[in-house]
Amino acid sequence: MSAVIKSPSRLDGISLSPPRWNEDGVALVIGLLIFALALGALSGTDLLGWVVTTSVWTDIGRALGTAGKSYAGLGGAAALLLTYGALLAVLSGAAWALRLPVARFALSFSLLFVLAYGCWVVGSFGRLAVVTVADRQKFGLDWSLRLTNEGGYLVALLLGLAIANFWPRLALFLREAIRPELYIKIAIVILGAFLAVTAAGKLNLASNLLLRGVAAIIEAYLIYWPVVYLISRKYFGFSREWSAPLASGISICGVAAAIATGGAIRARPVVPVLVSSLVVIFAVVEVLILPWLAQQFLSDDPLVAGAWIGLAIKTDGAAVAAGGITDALITARAGLDGVHYQPGWILATSSTVKVFIDIFIGIWAFILGSIWTNVINPAPAGQRTKAIEIWQRFPKFIIGFVVTFGATLLVALYGPAPFAQKLPAAIGEANNFRVIFFLLTFFSIGLLSNFAKLWQEGFAKLVAVYLISLFGFVIWVGLAISWIFFHGVLPPLAN
Amino acid sequence: MSDDTLTEELQKAGAEPLLPVEKKLIAGSLITGLLLLLVLGLLARLGGP
Repeated sequence: MSAVIKSPSRLDGISLSPPRWNEDGVALVIGLLIFALALGALSGTDLLGWVVTTSVWTDIGRALGTAGKSYAGLGGAAALLLTYGALLAVLSGAAWALRLPVARFALSFSLLFVLAYGCWVVGSFGRLAVVTVADRQKFGLDWSLRLTNEGGYLVALLLGLAIANFWPRLALFLREAIRPELYIKIAIVILGAFLAVTAAGKLNLASNLLLRGVAAIIEAYLIYWPVVYLISRKYFGFSREWSAPLASGISICGVAAAIATGGAIRARPVVPVLVSSLVVIFAVVEVLILPWLAQQFLSDDPLVAGAWIGLAIKTDGAAVAAGGITDALITARAGLDGVHYQPGWILATSSTVKVFIDIFIGIWAFILGSIWTNVINPAPAGQRTKAIEIWQRFPKFIIGFVVTFGATLLVALYGPAPFAQKLPAAIGEANNFRVIFFLLTFFSIGLLSNFAKLWQEGFAKLVAVYLISLFGFVIWVGLAISWIFFHGVLPPLAN
Repeated sequence: MSDDTLTEELQKAGAEPLLPVEKKLIAGSLITGLLLLLVLGLLARLGGP
């Protein structure tokens, strides 16, 4: 496993030293830190009110503001600077822990943040974001694209794609800060608290959602995986070394699963790295298409749409972020028909499905590792897969998700009344960071997707397996099973 | 390993027959998965939306 993880660093010429921490640990600490600071508001101390927020705008001077009213006097520009400074400090610490060159990371991150947040501001422009007729009248607009302000994610993704494909030298300059997995893991830890606040109001639906998340695990590991493996081995003639990471990448959770499987079956490091690149590129294509398809065809079944997105898109970052876009698009569309869903439930469904699938990566890698090292390529006794690897491969940031979800739910349901009343606003402030980390994820995913490089390397057969599996099988089975389990289950209505 | 070598490896990969253990893995996973989905589907129906 360690050899697999180190290889990309070697290939990039970044560092030969093992990291002090891994991304999971760093994401866990940062996510919990933001959560803890947010809880300060429960005792009347607003520690995160200075974070920048962006409203839908037609006058750029009014676009930026602060999350907390107590910090409104700061103004939007100062809030933006403070937010940038805080993120720079914390993430530079993370870069140190990951043994990245801190100064280079800080430079890259600074430009990354400016470009990404610029996209968010552009995405909040009224012509792009305004949804309802009332809001169009309020802003004096005769038309708008109705993308909601979450359209900023797509602006970031498209800019990232443009940079990766047309200005590769700029992408190279940004590379130290292109860390979509780190950003989304931090976001997922914070998301736990946000989802708990959402779930507390409708506990029965939330518990249903968790139960039905189990179906996603079965689908990914026991239905998708064997079919993709069979297609790859039998019809495309790939070796076992290629087929197993490919099946995990397409079926489970792209990057993490491909790398865990590659390590478990003792594949050469280059195999899961290439499979991961493929997964990231297809995730981008899916993010650009699936939320709109969901809005067009699944608006009447919002939670089917959420589960489908979580099952079909194969990286944590893209799946959870696309769940956010789908949430905004479907909620906005329903709003036009006079149905006002509580926002967050579609995102909750996508993330629950994804988190449930992630939990079992370690166990699946252990099962495959045991079969490979004991039967297919028998390894010497000391090199066989050990049970401790289940824990080593367990995605630790999920612990953070469980902690923030559980703690927030406890306070909401059993905490003193004043705490429970202040909780949504407190978690709302932390949620602003979640939005920023989503944004950084989208931008980073775009930056990683150099289509030209993929075609240049000529891995047409790998692409063919992916295309056939994803568009011929995974998204349809995912849709069918999401429909079976979530059809007729609607999000609660907003008050 | 260079990209050229990898491309060649992927293009020229000859079919290796599935080993019995691979067949068992594929069939076992699919059968278990379908059965579990059936049980969960029934439970979800009984539980209602």
